[in-house]
Amino acid sequence: MTAPAEQTRRSPLYRALAEDGARFEALGDHAVARDFGRDAADEAARAEALGLADLTPLPRVGFKGWNAGPWLAQAGAEMGEASNRAYPQADGTRIARLAPGEALVLADRAGRGPLIESLRQAWSMAEADGCFHVARQETSCWLLLTGAHAAGMLAKVCAVDLRPGSFAADSIAQTNVARLNAIVIRGDIGAVPAFDLLADSASAVYLWGALLDAMAEHDGAPIGLAAIGALLERG
Amino acid sequence: MMERLPEPAGLLLDRSEPVAFSFEGRRYQGFRGDTVASALAANDVTVLSRSFKYHRARGIHSLSGLDANTLVQVGPAPNRFADREPLAAGLVVTGQNYWGTLRHDRMAVFGLLHRFFPAGFYYKAFYKPRWTWPLWARMIRRIAGLGSVDTAAPHGYFDKQYLFCDVLVVGGGAAGLAAASQAAAAGAEVVLVDENAALGGALLHGRFDAGGVRTADTRTALAGEVEADERISVMTETACLGWYADNWLPLVRGNRLYKLRTKALVVATGCLEQPLVFRNNDLPGVMLASAAQRLIKLYGVRPGRRAVVATASDDGYGAALDLLDAGVEVAAVVDLRTDAPRSGVGDALAARRVPVHAGAAPWEAVPQRKGPGIARVRVAKIVEDGVCAPTVDSFTCDLLVVSGGQAPAAALLRQAGAAIAYDSRRQTTRIDALPAGVFAAGGVVGAAGLDGVIADGRRAGWQAAAHAGLDAGPEPAAAPDGDAPATAKGVWPIFPHPDHKAFVDFDEDVQVHDLEDAIAEGYDHVELLKRFTTNGMGPSQGRHSSLNAVRVLARATARSVDETGATTVRQPIVPVTMGHLAGRSFEPVRYTAMHFRHLEAGATMMPAGLWLRPEYYGEPARRQALIREEAKNVRDNVGIIDVSTLGGLDVRGPDAAEFMNRMYTFAYLKQPVGRSRYVLMTDLGGVVVDDGVACRMHEDHFYVTATTSGVDNVYREMLWYNAQWRLKVDVSNVTAALAGVNIAGPNCRAVLETLCDDVDISPEGFPYMGVREGHVAGIPALFLRVGFVGELGYELHVPASQGEALWDALLEAGRAHGIRPFGVEAQRLLRLEKGHIIIGQDTDGLTTPHEADMAWALAKKKPFHVGIRSVRMQAEKGLTRRLVGFEMPGVGVEQPKECHLVIREGEITGRVTSVAYSPNLDRIIGLAYVAPDQGEPGTRIEIRVDGGRMVSATVAKLPFFDPDGARQEL
Amino acid sequence: MKIMPCPLNGPRNIQEFICAGPVEPHPDPSRCSDDEWAEFVWLEENLAGVVREWWCHAATSYWFIAERNTVTDEILATYPADRVFSERVDFAPLALPEPPAPPEPPKAPAPPPPAEAAADTPAGDAPSDDALPLAPKETGG
Repeated sequence: MTAPAEQTRRSPLYRALAEDGARFEALGDHAVARDFGRDAADEAARAEALGLADLTPLPRVGFKGWNAGPWLAQAGAEMGEASNRAYPQADGTRIARLAPGEALVLADRAGRGPLIESLRQAWSMAEADGCFHVARQETSCWLLLTGAHAAGMLAKVCAVDLRPGSFAADSIAQTNVARLNAIVIRGDIGAVPAFDLLADSASAVYLWGALLDAMAEHDGAPIGLAAIGALLERG
Repeated sequence: MMERLPEPAGLLLDRSEPVAFSFEGRRYQGFRGDTVASALAANDVTVLSRSFKYHRARGIHSLSGLDANTLVQVGPAPNRFADREPLAAGLVVTGQNYWGTLRHDRMAVFGLLHRFFPAGFYYKAFYKPRWTWPLWARMIRRIAGLGSVDTAAPHGYFDKQYLFCDVLVVGGGAAGLAAASQAAAAGAEVVLVDENAALGGALLHGRFDAGGVRTADTRTALAGEVEADERISVMTETACLGWYADNWLPLVRGNRLYKLRTKALVVATGCLEQPLVFRNNDLPGVMLASAAQRLIKLYGVRPGRRAVVATASDDGYGAALDLLDAGVEVAAVVDLRTDAPRSGVGDALAARRVPVHAGAAPWEAVPQRKGPGIARVRVAKIVEDGVCAPTVDSFTCDLLVVSGGQAPAAALLRQAGAAIAYDSRRQTTRIDALPAGVFAAGGVVGAAGLDGVIADGRRAGWQAAAHAGLDAGPEPAAAPDGDAPATAKGVWPIFPHPDHKAFVDFDEDVQVHDLEDAIAEGYDHVELLKRFTTNGMGPSQGRHSSLNAVRVLARATARSVDETGATTVRQPIVPVTMGHLAGRSFEPVRYTAMHFRHLEAGATMMPAGLWLRPEYYGEPARRQALIREEAKNVRDNVGIIDVSTLGGLDVRGPDAAEFMNRMYTFAYLKQPVGRSRYVLMTDLGGVVVDDGVACRMHEDHFYVTATTSGVDNVYREMLWYNAQWRLKVDVSNVTAALAGVNIAGPNCRAVLETLCDDVDISPEGFPYMGVREGHVAGIPALFLRVGFVGELGYELHVPASQGEALWDALLEAGRAHGIRPFGVEAQRLLRLEKGHIIIGQDTDGLTTPHEADMAWALAKKKPFHVGIRSVRMQAEKGLTRRLVGFEMPGVGVEQPKECHLVIREGEITGRVTSVAYSPNLDRIIGLAYVAPDQGEPGTRIEIRVDGGRMVSATVAKLPFFDPDGARQEL
Repeated sequence: MKIMPCPLNGPRNIQEFICAGPVEPHPDPSRCSDDEWAEFVWLEENLAGVVREWWCHAATSYWFIAERNTVTDEILATYPADRVFSERVDFAPLALPEPPAPPEPPKAPAPPPPAEAAADTPAGDAPSDDALPLAPKETGG
């Protein structure tokens, strides 16, 4: 276990998480919430019903430019042509294609992302050629909303139809959530519905509070990586 | 006299749960399922309110949850409809709009003085003589208004939710239920919405067959089918507020506002029963037929002992039969028609030996001599439309039930753009055309008879499902001919009386003669008539009055009702509370990475757009002193300020420099890598809109700062321009990605040196306006040497996630030097001493670069920058004002505020934009716009301060402090 | 609430968008007349009928073009901007003479020249033909 303030990189939410009883573990030079001090089965049950996790410490990187597609392809990314789709990669990462010329690469649910590191290494300003690095690690906070009530809760804060029948797996909606610009990605964990939310990192504290308030109706609660891991295991 | 009926009457009641409540200070008892109005009725309380203007006693009229007679105050909540408000234990209900008691309202004198208060009287009164107005105003404030607001009442929790479906059916009556079932059978996701607590609509209270059993059975069958269908989401006690573009409809249920988008809409809202207009038609004891039927069937209340029924259609007959079944004596049925009814109701009534007076109308309701209510009804034969014979029959009764026909509840259809016409023969409106995606069924489109209405509903549901893209199968069969009641020729329902008191609009106390007088005065357009008389502007929004007003206007102007037109129906169709519209308070706020460190250091925060920034550190009581101390510490020592909120843009690509050259006024093509340069942006009109600093990180990479409030617009504008120019450039908004700290003061280099290993921050190694990349305390950083506050200073931009760590490291390293954080106010003072302008404070929506002395930032030889032509045209026209510095003595003089005007010989020549007392210079310094010929340093200018006093200031050369800029270039 | 079909994001509530007015060709500011320029900046045709408009999806800052009937408010088509703007736009070198200095206010002395401190220009750097800034910035508000 580690304290977030001991790391130089800190999620904007570390205080809010700590107040809710989070116990942190190191992830690179970040600290990520492992659990909230409750029984493991209890937290997994929460995650299945309605849970919210702060994945801001997990690796991610963005690229954009008129040549972003070809550059990413030659650097090892496998993407289709369609925008607003997330493409799973062999190493467990996902590439969210936001536009023909913009993509966002997300680590897997345990925080691993070899492709992310290799893309960062492969890119330089000197050889940019129409594809440019975007510091998504810093511009955006990353939250994960899980559970059977997730879509219903999102219907209180987002005007796009995110119901399973309308918003297929790996779909992306770039829209407003709780009056913030946000990227919503459907990324179910096994049979459990789940949504990745990326929004302005400076608004993370506000968004966290607004979502927890909307979740209160169904006893939603914060969850950590351990609960997510439990969902992954169940498959 | 009203009283409770035994079971089985009272469909909505749960008699096992008595509920105690109070009304006007007296305790009463009702049952769960009652509304406040029905429970009061069961306790024979007839007066619910006092009318708005004349303070006439009012009671139950429509009992439909939308009629202002029932407005009461429930606890802290004003203006609740008593016939919609569910009865709950311990409710404290009072009447509104009276002086004294509800039963004995002293303001009823206005009713006696009604001649002085006709419609629109306030346009012609209260202003002569002028000095009387304040007295009237005070009186009017006390008297006017409905209900009282309790400012100490606890806030409710309101919520919002988005909903989606294939087919929305508004109205849970026979047609709506049939439509919902039909659409669901085709596979549609259906939402069915109804205002009432139970499904059925008119089936709940109406009597559509002589025996009365078929209506109830139909309701049970249709509602049961819907409730069992999983594809239909039933929302009762839900109001639909209106129709918006592309089938978007807000719904209110409980404390939640739903915003629903549907592919197809079925409007099955039925009809609104209309009143008859005759003298004293507003007295307690006069109610619509459907109200009497609701009281009996839904709430188990017998509405009176002895009744007269006056009707313009078969509906009154059904009500008469219901009254008889409930034990009410029916003295007479007054049928305004001369043709006999065609359904079985006429025969059924004859069999009960109730006398029917055909071709007659109620002429006058006669009040009790003592107490509220009616004593008898005078009835006269109709000679022609609206005119009665002089001979009158009198019937003793305590209840007069009226039915003036039905008007379609077509508000939603009107808002959706349906073409609606008035059918002069049937004396009611008719839907002629519907827009795509909108369907209508049942009474609202004039379908009649149970079978007809149900078949019409199935048709609409089928069409809606098909429109939503579903395979709906073959079209359902059309209605059989059969039990449609007579809806042939309609009846003129308005009978004015020479002694007046024939009310058209109960909410606003508008009488027939008020409308006629207004029309005679020239208010002969339907919208003008409405606004001048306020007919239809009360809480009922014309549901029971608009049609009659149009009839009166049509007649008075010799036009058809169709030609006369109708007023526009606007959203919300039913009243909605502010809480529902507000929902939960969603107020986005942006925190910098160091936000909590500021709070921990005792900062008083201030908003900067959506961000919060420290204004100063410490208690508000010491505000001035703290700001000065912070500023002094920067000048003498070293301070740090959080500048994370400033915008940051990455402009990259082979055309990056060309793009910079076009977006900003200065020259960037040859800006060296590793140097920064000022950026100034003008808009197409040549007005200054943003500024910042551009750092050339690489041949093809500029990192550009922008103002906190301007960066989002700048980013969007850049993308818009390049969408047209198609340069090979990419722009990214990285404002939130970087945390920024400005460390400034003579000792800042000493502090920074201890933390930087890989950047040479000596004056030679890192000149003024240079840019470097390296590490501070191990954190990767961009270093900018800038001089906004006029001291040696470095701006450090680091990844936001490491901003807090940077802040901590700087404070720790500077502890020995007495480093102190400084806030926005101290920074403003420091930059003012240097004469640096702030976009949006010292510039306004018209400021051009020449006015603000920024012509130096305009490149001379480039062919283009945004606004270049306008800047040149403005320059050729010549200045009309100039932004200059000014100063005043530090003591003994009143300090002006921002926006105080510069006045010369009675003319405004400018205004103050920034001003502060500088302890450093012991003078008041500031920036102001002045006339061009006042801009010479040394010129005296006069500024008008609070209270109209004039103070003198002297135009001064800028900057006020360190004119050579030596300190920032150390 | 109206639906706007965004070419990138699909049909969305119109509240997600910003309308930036009709698509108009920009006159070359160094070659057009004063009247042409002023008309372009300040006047709008305000057509009743089908117009081509600029729209921006605020959440993504994605600009596109919509064809809309301003009388019926019907949106007829939406498409990426490059369907209309497919060629790079360049500005030819200046055709006009040097812009005049603004008329001098009465009795105003010549403003002091901007400081070109030697420290600003490292050795070997070719001086640019534009003055270096006197008032460098880290902005305030």
